Amino acid sequence: MISVIKADLRKHWRRPAFRVGAALVALLVAVNYGIGLAELIWPSIAPQSGVDVDILYPANFVNNATGAAGLSSAIAMIVGALMAGSDYSWGTLKTALTQRAGRLTTVAGRIAAYLLYTALLALIILAMGVAGSVVVATYQSHPISWPAAIDIAKGFGALWLVLSVSGTLGIALGTLFRQPAAAVGAGLIYGLALQVLIVRFIAGINDGQLKWLANLFEGENSQALTRSFGGAATGDITPERAVLVLLAYVAIYVAATAALVRQRDAT
Amino acid sequence: MQNITVVETHGLTKRFGSRVLAVDSVAMSVRRGEVYGFLGPNGAGKTTTLRMLVGLIRPTAGTATVAGHAPGAPAGLARIGSLIEAPGFFPYLSGRENLRVVADLAEIDHKRVEQVLEIVELSSRAHRKFGTYSTGMKQRLGVAAALLKDPELLILDEPTNGLDPQGMAEMRRLIKEVGQGDRTVLLSSHLLGEVEQICDRVGVISNGRLVKQSSVQELLGEEGVLVRAQPIDQAEAVLTRMFGPQAVTRQDGALHLKTKPEHAVDINRELIVAGVTVSELRPFERSLEEVFFQLTGERQGS
Repeated sequence: MISVIKADLRKHWRRPAFRVGAALVALLVAVNYGIGLAELIWPSIAPQSGVDVDILYPANFVNNATGAAGLSSAIAMIVGALMAGSDYSWGTLKTALTQRAGRLTTVAGRIAAYLLYTALLALIILAMGVAGSVVVATYQSHPISWPAAIDIAKGFGALWLVLSVSGTLGIALGTLFRQPAAAVGAGLIYGLALQVLIVRFIAGINDGQLKWLANLFEGENSQALTRSFGGAATGDITPERAVLVLLAYVAIYVAATAALVRQRDAT
Repeated sequence: MQNITVVETHGLTKRFGSRVLAVDSVAMSVRRGEVYGFLGPNGAGKTTTLRMLVGLIRPTAGTATVAGHAPGAPAGLARIGSLIEAPGFFPYLSGRENLRVVADLAEIDHKRVEQVLEIVELSSRAHRKFGTYSTGMKQRLGVAAALLKDPELLILDEPTNGLDPQGMAEMRRLIKEVGQGDRTVLLSSHLLGEVEQICDRVGVISNGRLVKQSSVQELLGEEGVLVRAQPIDQAEAVLTRMFGPQAVTRQDGALHLKTKPEHAVDINRELIVAGVTVSELRPFERSLEEVFFQLTGERQGS
């Protein structure tokens, strides 16, 4: 499996989609801090926004940066779908499957390499959070203090998990559709619209009697987990429960991908 | 060439859905050290068979042993190099980087990448992105990837597809070179001249069935005599009387006889005695093309 991971990291490193994905994630956090800083410098441009400067300081960078998880996970889903789907359209899956590793080893190696990429995205988000918060603190002449190491580690873990759920969903869809365009489309429609509508519908049935079902959706759990860093209300979903549900989603998407690659003909 | 079998199939069958029978009970054997041509018209089932041999698709029925293992088994794959259909590479990587990715997957030292680039004469253009390659360069890179493992069995699916005449000649030369020694080459093609030039043995597949498997010489070697004579009906009657109805066929205004050329004197004498005017009487050698059309029931130009 190490050889498959090595091969995948080699090709990911040079792949434009992976580089653009990483750059967009960095840009998201930079824009977040940039807007906050602009509102501090020019309060008149958005007088109603009432920016909370405390959230922009280094002590709170984990809380602030995890707020980028939502859009970043969409990017992780798109890159995952592109990776898996284009393996079919370029015929590179056939090349991989006719080398030395078996099908399941190939799938495992590929997903492992992709999870390293989502770890890199999580690190980029936090690194941009550090950089942005230091700029704000320096501009405000505010003393720099950092969150506890355990909180930074938890923030990294939460971001990695949320991005990995979306990434493995993208890989599963790319494998299912055997081409990138349909996989990206289906993933975005599900993640950004369909899931929200379904959750809203289910949560409204019989005065919320089926809320427990709505709480099983990945979007609800991702939000609950990332919001927990800011101390915001997370409803019925505790961070611990969110982690378990999200891990289950990763396992389901990985198993679905492995089953598809194992059972279907590679054409 | 040795009599050790490198590829052996029994009743290999592939159905797509309930209606399409792509490969029907194919029993083929490829021996170590030979260049085996897998001949058939487009859609005959060549690529589907080769895909089954490398484990990309699973047979509906039947068995296959490839390099001593079941198709797709890692131990077998380690001894097989293949180029099935179009070469599958990443367009944003250079030719060299693509080979390095394949080398990583195959657990091969990167030094071998430079060696295979030399073999396929792509070293000077290996830095260019695969997406910018011509069809010929893509095919050669595909062969280079297939050679990375220095495989004992090389499976090439229509490697001259899309190449211009010069590219085809270069590819044939390359296949002849890599097919020397103990290495076995299984080559699919619908180009008969190519197979006749390169291969030791051939298997002819038509409508999913293997209709013939033999050496090229054996396939071409059925001796015969061609007779042009007038009136042709009378000539046919004389020859049928001499050799039996199975041995005489009428084709393009001539009579083809399945018999040894030494009988030409007897044939000439009998025809003259019967009052037939003989305008042409000669041994004929069938081309692979003729044999192919006869075996597959296909017509040239159809």
